[in-house]
Amino acid sequence: MNVQVEHHDKVLVARVEGRVDSSNSQDFERQLQGAIGEDVNAVVIDLGQLAYISSAGLRVVLLVAKTLGQRNVSISLCALSDPVQSVFEISGFNRIIQIYDTQADALAAAG
Amino acid sequence: MGDRDHPDYKILVVDDEPDLERLVRQRMRRHIRKGKYGFEFAGNGVEALEVLREKKDIDIVLSDINMPKMDGLTLLQQIPEVNSDLRSVIVSAYGDMENIRTAMNRGAFDFVTKPIDFTDLEVTIERTLRHLDEWRAALASRDKLVAIQNELDVATKIQQSILPDTFPHVDGCEVYGCMHAARNVGGDFFDVINLNAGRIGLAVADVSDKGVPAALFMMSSRTLLKGAAIGVEDPSTVLREVNDLLNETNDAAMFVTVFYGVYDPSTRVLTFSNGGHNPPLVVHPDGSSEELELTGGLALGAIPGFEYGQASVRLSPGDLVIFFTDGVTEAIDVSNEEFGLESVQDLFREPPTPTAREAAEMILRAVKDFAGEAPQFDDLTCMTLRVADE
Repeated sequence: MNVQVEHHDKVLVARVEGRVDSSNSQDFERQLQGAIGEDVNAVVIDLGQLAYISSAGLRVVLLVAKTLGQRNVSISLCALSDPVQSVFEISGFNRIIQIYDTQADALAAAG
Repeated sequence: MGDRDHPDYKILVVDDEPDLERLVRQRMRRHIRKGKYGFEFAGNGVEALEVLREKKDIDIVLSDINMPKMDGLTLLQQIPEVNSDLRSVIVSAYGDMENIRTAMNRGAFDFVTKPIDFTDLEVTIERTLRHLDEWRAALASRDKLVAIQNELDVATKIQQSILPDTFPHVDGCEVYGCMHAARNVGGDFFDVINLNAGRIGLAVADVSDKGVPAALFMMSSRTLLKGAAIGVEDPSTVLREVNDLLNETNDAAMFVTVFYGVYDPSTRVLTFSNGGHNPPLVVHPDGSSEELELTGGLALGAIPGFEYGQASVRLSPGDLVIFFTDGVTEAIDVSNEEFGLESVQDLFREPPTPTAREAAEMILRAVKDFAGEAPQFDDLTCMTLRVADE
């Protein structure tokens, strides 16, 4: 698991690669929370290179979304592979977190 | 800081020289007054052991070697049987390397030579006490680790103990459930709840993450669910109530995916609401199977005020419903391949459908065979409902 961060003006894009499960979810949380600075208006998490996410990983996404919500920072996900998309659909998290097909769509909405 | 009556450290001085007590009390008077050191005195090894048996809080034994009744070297051998949480410093004649060597071999921490240089003695005592403090801190952290391990074991036992191990005998259907916990305490549970008019509440759930917090969250989810299930008719209302209660205190953003259904054996109707859980599989007597629909739900604990959907299905005689957690379908083998839903479906292609118990055990066995040497990361839970044949 690896998180790479890019800034597009005040939009932060975090690209997550690999697998997120209970063995590395704390590391995932640290990397993600650490990457989100004060001067960010929106966060786009690009899951295009994410092969697998367990419920422990979903909890981190939920936690980050809740924290950002309190700061009025918008969050969205994009480019989910089919298995990851299905995890979000079954858990119902696609109902509470905005999901876009591509990073460009997410950036356009966030910009 | 200690005081005169309760010194920080206690030192037992063992020597047959009667003047030594007065000398020590005089030279150490500042430390004694400040409550740093307290002193006890014994005239030989036998007396020393008596003091150690009576006073368990001695930190250092400072002992001469040549004494009547029991000498210092014999005393050294006997101290660990009485008190293993102290350190010994031996007092020997200058240059008596043979005795010093023997004393060190018998566990003395350090030595000073006669005539006693009190400045040197103070340095030796300080060094010994620093070592003792560190040793005790190391022991304490080891004990803490053991306590945490015990706590995990307790959580595992709690998790197992709340699962049903007897299942209702109802005309028209049978129910079975089992769980194989992963090594780290997980958060799976299932429940079979006797409701009024012969109906059965069936729940299977999976708490996000592992460990003691997950186990505690699982416990409260399970209790809330059972309470709501007994009080409320509609599965969707049950999930809504539990979700709102779980959201009242949930700073850690934990959540639990729950499938909850009510089965009525008299009509063979299963009414259910899915809170973000893997949809159960319905296997028909001809070997075909399909998943129950998602009901537009969401994992419980994620956000308050969520309205859950609900659906019904009329089962047929011989139908088998398999409720499970993702530990089953997402079990991996040594090459990281997932077991997958299709492997579950494949187990039941050949009619007729097995009994509820056989089906659950077949699934868990198949998952274990598949995983082989690969470690089990997640709890494996499987609950089955089988409608009686016509």
